[in-house]
Amino acid sequence: MEFVLLIFLPVIFALLVPFAYKKIKGIHTGWFVLVVPLVLFGYYLSFLPLVMDGGHAISEMKWIPSLGIAFTSYIDGLSLLFTLLITGIGSLVVLYSVFYMDREKEDLGSFYVYLLIFMTAMLGVVQSDNTMTLYLFWELTSISSFLLIGFWYTKDKSRFGALKSMMITVFGGLMMLGAFILLSIMGETFSVRELIAQAPDLLNQPYFTLALVLLLLGAFTKSAQFPFYIWLPDAMEAPTPVSAYLHSATMVKAGIYLVARFTPIFGSASTWIWLVTGIGLLTLFWGSFFAVKQTDLKAILAFSTVSQLGLIMSLLGAGAISYHATAAMFGFATYAAIFHLINHAAFKGGLFMIAGIIDHETGTRDIRKLGGLMSVMPISFTVAAIGSLSMAGLPPFSGFLSKEMFLESMVALQHFELFNFDTWGILFPIVAWIASVFTFTYSMYFVLKTFIGQKKFDQLPKQPHEAPIGMLISPMILATIVILVFFIPNVIGKWIIKPAVMAVQPTLYASPSAVDIHVKAWHGFGAAGLWLTIGVVVFGTLLYLTIPKWQPLYRIQPDKLSLNNGYDAMMRGSEKGLNRVSRLYMTGKIRTYLLYMFAFMSVTIIAILFIKDAFVLDMNSFTAITLYGSLNAIVLILSVGFVVFAKSRLAAIIALGGVGYSVALFFVIFKAPDLALTQLVIETVSVALFLLAFKHLPALSTHGETKRNKMVNLIVSLSVGVMVTLVALSSHSQKMIPSISQYYKDTVETEAAGGNIVNVILVDYRGFDTFFEIAVLAIAGIAVLGMIRLRVSRKEPTDENK
Amino acid sequence: MEFILSILIGILFTAAVYLILSRSLLKVILGTGLLSHGAHLLILTMGGLGGTAPPVVIDGVTDFADPLPQALILTAIVISFGVTAVMLVMAYRMYDVHRTDNMNELRGNDEHD
Amino acid sequence: MNMINLLLFPIIIPFFFAMILMFFKEQVVVQRVLTLIGLALSLVASFWLIATVKTEGIQTVTLGSWPAPFGITMVSDMFSALLVTTTIIITIFVVIYSFSSIGVERERFFYYPAILFMITGINGAFTTGDIFNMFVFFEVLLIASYLLIVLGGEKRQLRESIKYILVNVISSAIFVIAVAYLYSIIGTLNMADISVKIAEINQPGIISVIAILFLIVFGIKGAIFPLYFWLPNSYAAPPIPILALFGALLTKVGVYAITRTYTLFFVHDIGFTHQFLMVLALLTIIAGCIGALAYFDLKQIIIYNIIIAVGVILFGVAQMNTSGLEGAVYYLLHDMLIKGALFVLIGIIIYATGTSNLREMGGLIKTHATLGWTYLIAAFGLAGIPPLSGFIGKVLITKGAFEADHVIGSIIILASSLVVLLSVIRIFIYAFWGPQKNELPVRDQRTYRQMMFPAIMLVLITVAYGVGAEWLMPYMTDAANVLADPSIYINAVLKE
Repeated sequence: MEFVLLIFLPVIFALLVPFAYKKIKGIHTGWFVLVVPLVLFGYYLSFLPLVMDGGHAISEMKWIPSLGIAFTSYIDGLSLLFTLLITGIGSLVVLYSVFYMDREKEDLGSFYVYLLIFMTAMLGVVQSDNTMTLYLFWELTSISSFLLIGFWYTKDKSRFGALKSMMITVFGGLMMLGAFILLSIMGETFSVRELIAQAPDLLNQPYFTLALVLLLLGAFTKSAQFPFYIWLPDAMEAPTPVSAYLHSATMVKAGIYLVARFTPIFGSASTWIWLVTGIGLLTLFWGSFFAVKQTDLKAILAFSTVSQLGLIMSLLGAGAISYHATAAMFGFATYAAIFHLINHAAFKGGLFMIAGIIDHETGTRDIRKLGGLMSVMPISFTVAAIGSLSMAGLPPFSGFLSKEMFLESMVALQHFELFNFDTWGILFPIVAWIASVFTFTYSMYFVLKTFIGQKKFDQLPKQPHEAPIGMLISPMILATIVILVFFIPNVIGKWIIKPAVMAVQPTLYASPSAVDIHVKAWHGFGAAGLWLTIGVVVFGTLLYLTIPKWQPLYRIQPDKLSLNNGYDAMMRGSEKGLNRVSRLYMTGKIRTYLLYMFAFMSVTIIAILFIKDAFVLDMNSFTAITLYGSLNAIVLILSVGFVVFAKSRLAAIIALGGVGYSVALFFVIFKAPDLALTQLVIETVSVALFLLAFKHLPALSTHGETKRNKMVNLIVSLSVGVMVTLVALSSHSQKMIPSISQYYKDTVETEAAGGNIVNVILVDYRGFDTFFEIAVLAIAGIAVLGMIRLRVSRKEPTDENK
Repeated sequence: MEFILSILIGILFTAAVYLILSRSLLKVILGTGLLSHGAHLLILTMGGLGGTAPPVVIDGVTDFADPLPQALILTAIVISFGVTAVMLVMAYRMYDVHRTDNMNELRGNDEHD
Repeated sequence: MNMINLLLFPIIIPFFFAMILMFFKEQVVVQRVLTLIGLALSLVASFWLIATVKTEGIQTVTLGSWPAPFGITMVSDMFSALLVTTTIIITIFVVIYSFSSIGVERERFFYYPAILFMITGINGAFTTGDIFNMFVFFEVLLIASYLLIVLGGEKRQLRESIKYILVNVISSAIFVIAVAYLYSIIGTLNMADISVKIAEINQPGIISVIAILFLIVFGIKGAIFPLYFWLPNSYAAPPIPILALFGALLTKVGVYAITRTYTLFFVHDIGFTHQFLMVLALLTIIAGCIGALAYFDLKQIIIYNIIIAVGVILFGVAQMNTSGLEGAVYYLLHDMLIKGALFVLIGIIIYATGTSNLREMGGLIKTHATLGWTYLIAAFGLAGIPPLSGFIGKVLITKGAFEADHVIGSIIILASSLVVLLSVIRIFIYAFWGPQKNELPVRDQRTYRQMMFPAIMLVLITVAYGVGAEWLMPYMTDAANVLADPSIYINAVLKE
């Protein structure tokens, strides 16, 4: 069986969930759902031996072969790592949710459906080798995230937080789609592997940089990099299991995955290195700086996530330098990125779960109201402490190892000599260090302010007590992993990290074992990382202790200048602003619209007539001017004048009749007797109709038309008239091909057996026209009947037009 | 003669559009009448106004006027008559309900925000 | 069995049934049954037609057995055949929707005959191979539409109908003079012959002028910038089933005509004519985007989305490469289906809440869950989220634009998807999510279910269209090939 189908297992299982929810009342639906990620985790573990040795596996299901679009699952180190993360943390989250989501109050039937859809989508993103289906799954993650954030949809903040996340991530997704299409044109394939193989050729193609930028837009929006991070704090409206799963461990890492996966293609471009490293670092700093401002536990964690994602992103950017400089010191960065990715998933997931537990047990997430919980919630405290200290980068926790590697990599950057790094490169370790200080500070802030210090239990909505053991299992497992990894980093490295690094830098490493990086806790007193970390601890502690003094500084930034306000302004503009714009030109008056149309038509046609040298006046093509013709012309013009300037309805109608009869006279003059007859009859009937209708209409009035109105009307109508005349003259002067009517003249007697050619055309050659012309009359008849007789009554119950 | 006709048709169109842009529904309808006349005359003119005989087969006559535009005009006349009839009745019914023929007062914007 | 006249059936059958229906003015049930039978028969014929065109190539018939170009030729290439079929499918479901929503009074006054006459005109316009005959079919469909838009004589209808008919009378007049100009220069009305003769004289400047004139004529009908202004208010006036038909079908006839003329006739000065088209298409998208976001009225949001779609399709046509044309065909058919579905769905929302103002709605998901999820799928389909139907068309058009070095246009196309998504998701967020604002009017559950049936069917069809894109590819490629290479069409018509 093609294992690509397993990607769809969650979503297929989701079809059963509503039934499980409705019919099986005794058991929490989550227990059923738990089976899926567990089974998948176990199955994908079996790929580990293959991947450890540098192998890979592929499975494909075709969708639109004619366009080269298929569902392809490609398991290598990178995708396997993410897959295990998705399914592993997924299992823990589902387990957690069994205890967090109350069966009676929450709509579990929908919740687990959305979650499973997300799981499928995420698996698809990381395993997909075909860019089109990768995009499909990417947008599916946006959609499922939308549904999950808006889960409590009666709350305004949930709805608009969901909208914000969807708008920003779909925007990025569409840009990424543009990148994929460009790549498919440049490399003539949708397969990522094939594109990677062609990387050197792609580098010099004209749209390479554009594709690069578009791809990064996709990655940065999804992974909440500056300035697109603003959706992530609002996404905290979602239930906490969702925050732990999507918005810390998996979905937000999709952008990281994208950058990692496409590094072999784009990594050698300086634009890439600067953008990825620079934006990553900026995000790292920005997130950590603003984390301390927050008062909601989940918001602190959200900003922390933004910051940590920036960290990983900057490491991936730094890792791309290895395409240009092969010194060992540059080799760390990619390894560090992957390593930190795993560590972050573990500690952040756990921290979110603790935040959810605190919310569940105390009824609030406001850090100002919390304190001293350690005494009643010792286990939660332990887990939180482990997570926070790991996040701060202290031993004996996994975060310490990856943070050290990060600092070392950043220090190494200043030695890189290309692309202006020799001038600006020093900035990187400086910013990195400052950001680490703030990271330390907010980590301490998070755990100490909540668990230690003064107890304020009377301010809390609920009397706090330790969470039920079921809710604690998942965070405890994660905390254990955090500690475990510290002690066996190289085992983890051999199993998972090295194959992933090889996937990101295939030109550097032929196999995972070639990745010669050994992670150590102690590098000796000379290591820059050691001193930097000590500095971080010292200054971080200082900052933490002085928080009350400098926290008010945050208020200096006026709300108006924030990015959030920019987004809000855009959304407001898209409603009220655009409404005003639209109403400017959509006046509702038909005259305005006709003015636009006529003006456009006449100006454009006359202009093109001259631009294209199409205006030709061949006086020889015109037949001679006749006396009767000219006289009739004068009569016609006079009648027209009467129509325009008539003051009474009767006069106008009679003048119109006069025009019609003059036209009939023209038909006589120009040898069209049948036409003349028809025209006379129709004109007479028309006049009668006009008289009948106008009798019921009011007298002619100008309704307050100003001279200006009339002037505008005159100018526009003159230009239309001029246009018609000029084109007519040009067309007549450029008769290039004789008409087909010669055939009619030739065959009318012999084959059509008729004498009056016009009649024969109407009835035989072009009888089909006549048939439908009569139909038009018939329909006009029933239309008139319908209009006169049917006046719909007001009480019509299905009348939607109020 | 096509020269004169072309200018004449231009005048017809000018008058037609001028009326169509006015505020009174009656004038607008009159304008559409002129518009059709202009269009029909144009078909004839574009077909060429030469031809010494109407397109009916008679011994010895070879220089017919072009029959094809004439057939087209016939079709067009009938169709525009049908449409005019519908338009007139529509105007009548509209006035019946709205009691005004001032096009300015017949705006479309107030139904929604 | 060799049915030479097969391609006429989708035109003749509805016409025939419309005539019969006029005898049953008061018997509404008989009318309903007969309409469905007539449409079903036409659908069978059109599927058969697609199969025939696939195996035997372009079908042509010249009425009266006169040789083309002297008689009126009807031509069914894959593009026309697909359009005809889609038209009938949509009409069937909108008619079913009408059973529960249009009201018996209208049904007794030629509602169904008018629909069938309109379909006759639409199918005829899609199938004709003669430019003046196209004018006649345009008039048929227009006059039927006049009847439909004014039927019932409600205040708003009367006010908007007079403006609608005015705009169309003007556009018809310009159509006539454009045909006259063209005839003056090349002396023929048969479309294949026109193509041959324009090629012979190598499209001099005057022909390019006429090309733009044709663009304006069809653009008025097809609602491109700056000729679309009449559409939002006119379309919002009649009852929902009529709005659904207009929105899904009528504008597309204009788009078809532009596509046909700009791939068959005016292909020798692409640097000018198609650049012009492309610029207008992009402006159309922008104008549509502004409108789709500017209003909180359900009808206006979807109506402006029509305009956005027209811009996208014509942008694809303007690229004049395989990707662009294929994408345009894909997107055109997708848009017809999805607009039909969306209008029916918002009709149900309006019925359920008693208002079309989004700000007065909320919390519908609790009481109308199926409606909500169906709507959401349709909304995502419109925005082009894969694997739903809009995706392939959008990708192909964007690809075509990148291939032709029209980078800014491609980015605008991609960005417009975001605006489309925002406009339709707003409806979901305000009407379905959110707190309930007003008491829902008491409604008949049976009527609701009857209305949901065609809505769900149409959405399912669009989902199948998207997911099953592979089965449709051969047909789309056929259609695009004929558009890309006029000689295929010309040979089929003139060499018989």
